[in-house]
Amino acid sequence: MQPFALNYARPAVELEATTPYAYDGALQLNVLMDGRVAASDLALLRELGTTTSTAGSKTHFDD
Amino acid sequence: MTVLILTCEEDVTADMVVVHLNASGVPVVRLDPADLPGGVALSGEYVHGAFRGHLQSAGRLVSIAGLRSIWVRRPGAPAARAPQSSGWLTEESSQALYGMLRGSGARWMNHPDAARQARHKPWQLRLAQDCGLPVPATLITTFPQAAREFAERFPDLVVKPVSGAHPQDPPRAVPTSRVAPDTDFSAVAFGPTLLQRRVAKRADIRLTVVGGRMLAARKETPAGADPDAVDVRFAPGDVPWRATEVPPRVAEAVRSYLNRAQLAYGAFDFAEDADGTWWFLECNQSGQFGFVEVETGQPIARAVAEWLARPGPESGDRVDDADASVC
Repeated sequence: MQPFALNYARPAVELEATTPYAYDGALQLNVLMDGRVAASDLALLRELGTTTSTAGSKTHFDD
Repeated sequence: MTVLILTCEEDVTADMVVVHLNASGVPVVRLDPADLPGGVALSGEYVHGAFRGHLQSAGRLVSIAGLRSIWVRRPGAPAARAPQSSGWLTEESSQALYGMLRGSGARWMNHPDAARQARHKPWQLRLAQDCGLPVPATLITTFPQAAREFAERFPDLVVKPVSGAHPQDPPRAVPTSRVAPDTDFSAVAFGPTLLQRRVAKRADIRLTVVGGRMLAARKETPAGADPDAVDVRFAPGDVPWRATEVPPRVAEAVRSYLNRAQLAYGAFDFAEDADGTWWFLECNQSGQFGFVEVETGQPIARAVAEWLARPGPESGDRVDDADASVC
């Protein structure tokens, strides 16, 4: 009784647990442990894949 | 005049835009509706024929009348993190927040009504057809026999969610997947199913449109790639995205699409075939762009910041032809 499309489902990948930055409410930006703004480190963003279009994330339904 | 950004804290793509707004000296208030009530507070009064409203978050107080633009990026559901969260409180908080903001006169990227409509993929397909974009043959059905007959006419098919949403109980992803020729379509009766002719693609195209500005990126399909690896989000390999030109006819059709959809922002996915034709797959009204900028260096975040920072009241036209450019 499973809908046809779900025959092609696979486990979702969640990325949230591995980010080495934290949100700073005063700056309104995510900041790395050394104080740098995470968004300024494009190499890091590429490595982390946190700006990547993904499927299955709860928050990224509009990818 | 302030830019209001509605998004979650972990949205580092929004950070890319905030950095540009900060550099331009444009005031920004960023908040997540999930924190209303609690970390986010609001108040608005309708007295003597006038409205005065305020939002507060992280020590910042902003007048709703002082908003120049509102960017709806990745907001949580209102009241989702409230101590006594409930469906009722979410609806109350949503009505209060978005109801006040709707009366603000600020420019939206994207307006909630336009965004809601634009999420309907069947509607996207029809609008794309109307605007002259090539759309692969598509069937959405709950009739197994219709699916069988469609598969006879178009033997090489893919299946993908009608909504683009993914099941959360348990969390699963439903990538665009190739359908084997001998597939049993009986289960089509258990849920609307979207079947589409597979485009034998030589590249994926992500076209990000900000206001009138178009920034296209192309990811080439490697020679000898597995034809079952349909969904670029799951395809193996490390072929990078590269900036590319937008064919003039596509640009014209996309501009028409966004005008009719009343969208200020859209991220279009196309499949480029061997003839160079861009086949429309979908338009995500809040599609991710960080990964494109990171790989191509295209100034998408700056374009978003510039659109948000632009002064002036809501014009009604989400796509501004006056500053149209194609990159």
